[in-house]
Amino acid sequence: MAESRYWNPRRETLPRDQLEALQLRKLRSVLAWAQAKVPYQARRLQQAGVTPESIRTLDDLRRIPLFTRDEWMEGLESDPPFGPLSAVPPDLAIRYHTTSGTTGRQPIRALDGMKDWEWIAEMWCYGFWAAGIRPSDRVFIAFSYGGFIGFWGAHYAAEKIGCMCLPSGGMTTERRVQYLVEMGATVVCTTPTYGLRMAQEAQKLGINLAESPVRLLLLSGEPGGSLPATQRLMSEQWGAEVCDTAGMTEVGTIVMFECDGHPGGMHTIDDHYIEEVVDPKTGEPVGYGEIGERVVTSFGRGFIPVIRYRTGDLVRRVPASTCTCGRTFDIYEGGIIGRVDDMKVVRGTNVYPSSVEAIVREFREVDEFQIYLYTDGIRDEIEVRIELPDPAADEVAITSALSRALQNAHGGLNFRVRRVESGSLPRFELKARRLVDERRVVGSADERKAL
Amino acid sequence: MQNLMGDQLNEPQQRLVACYEDLKQVVERHGPDLAPYEQRNALKALAALWQIVNGLDLDPDHLYDLGA
Repeated sequence: MAESRYWNPRRETLPRDQLEALQLRKLRSVLAWAQAKVPYQARRLQQAGVTPESIRTLDDLRRIPLFTRDEWMEGLESDPPFGPLSAVPPDLAIRYHTTSGTTGRQPIRALDGMKDWEWIAEMWCYGFWAAGIRPSDRVFIAFSYGGFIGFWGAHYAAEKIGCMCLPSGGMTTERRVQYLVEMGATVVCTTPTYGLRMAQEAQKLGINLAESPVRLLLLSGEPGGSLPATQRLMSEQWGAEVCDTAGMTEVGTIVMFECDGHPGGMHTIDDHYIEEVVDPKTGEPVGYGEIGERVVTSFGRGFIPVIRYRTGDLVRRVPASTCTCGRTFDIYEGGIIGRVDDMKVVRGTNVYPSSVEAIVREFREVDEFQIYLYTDGIRDEIEVRIELPDPAADEVAITSALSRALQNAHGGLNFRVRRVESGSLPRFELKARRLVDERRVVGSADERKAL
Repeated sequence: MQNLMGDQLNEPQQRLVACYEDLKQVVERHGPDLAPYEQRNALKALAALWQIVNGLDLDPDHLYDLGA
């Protein structure tokens, strides 16, 4: 039998009507499990007048109220340390993990059983296989292997597939770069930010990564992984193909992956999740092609059933047919476009860090950057600080061209672009924090908008 | 044997399902009598086989009560 390009050939090519029938059956099953095992969820379902049997179509899912991160956090605080969402006693867990803390004061805590961890790896296997990772690959995982769930699942997926896994916890960036080259890594799992950071380090060390055996960068952890400019830059620096993935601790693993057909986005794993895209303000569904907030229901992790969870991720869903790979899983065009809570309003204009990054990355001379919001008098200002490591770089030409490009993409909003000393901006291993907001609150929102 | 989508499972798939069912039965019936290395490795294998049965659309039950 010829090698399959799909991890689960039947599921990944299931006609949409059958996929939806599968989702409906799984949805009823997860609701029955939550109702029977999680009193907290049983109450929510009862208050909404929902029973598993009353769910007759996928549209009925909307009868269940959206579940928010704040509610999850409240649960953790009122019923410490694990909260009221577990379907199983904590003693049966084999692992405890947390979020990296993208939003909020403290991380979300999650427990998983043995079968859950096999499933977590299984989801990563969908992404690994679709990106072309095979048993002959040597997979380097640029990750600290700590309490943040991060690339743990990727590690187990690499093992499950039969790859040689190269963990890199406890290493400096310099050592990681040397190590992955010494060991002949063919695949590197990293966040986009850290992938660029390793490329900078390699340059300092006189290592040409494009001449190394690395043939694929498997990204995760940040919205920027699907940005064409970021992918292009990484691809050039590493001489490798780039595929993005995205997931979250709340479900334990990835929810979407970019296949080797590179459809300009990521396929959602529609046989293990129901992904809804809703208007962040009204909670009403938005159609194909419209930007909205992801809401996820997971069929996989039984320890903590996740039902209609508001992710805060902004996405634009398009049909599977926009990709040529043959999968019937829908696509988030452009991947995770941004975070609902990332958006900043500067003088009435919406500014998303990921949109700014997409433009900054078009300027190859820029090594690192930071978006700085401040108040000048009573007026909000936005400054983009850039590092240009090449002393011969034409600072005036680059800063003015970048400023113009940012202004054009933001309805004429004036961006100040300033060169700062090379190496002075923070570097990140996991999720980058490139936006600093030091604005003072002056007057009402309307007054500020009018300025 | 058909799955819940009404698809016929082929022979190797049916045998994998049978492996899962057999192993599950062993753990259910004899778990406490097994040596630690037998029991824990059986559970690990069961957790992996569960993914196949799940992927074949047979909607297996959760395994937490058994320790997986």
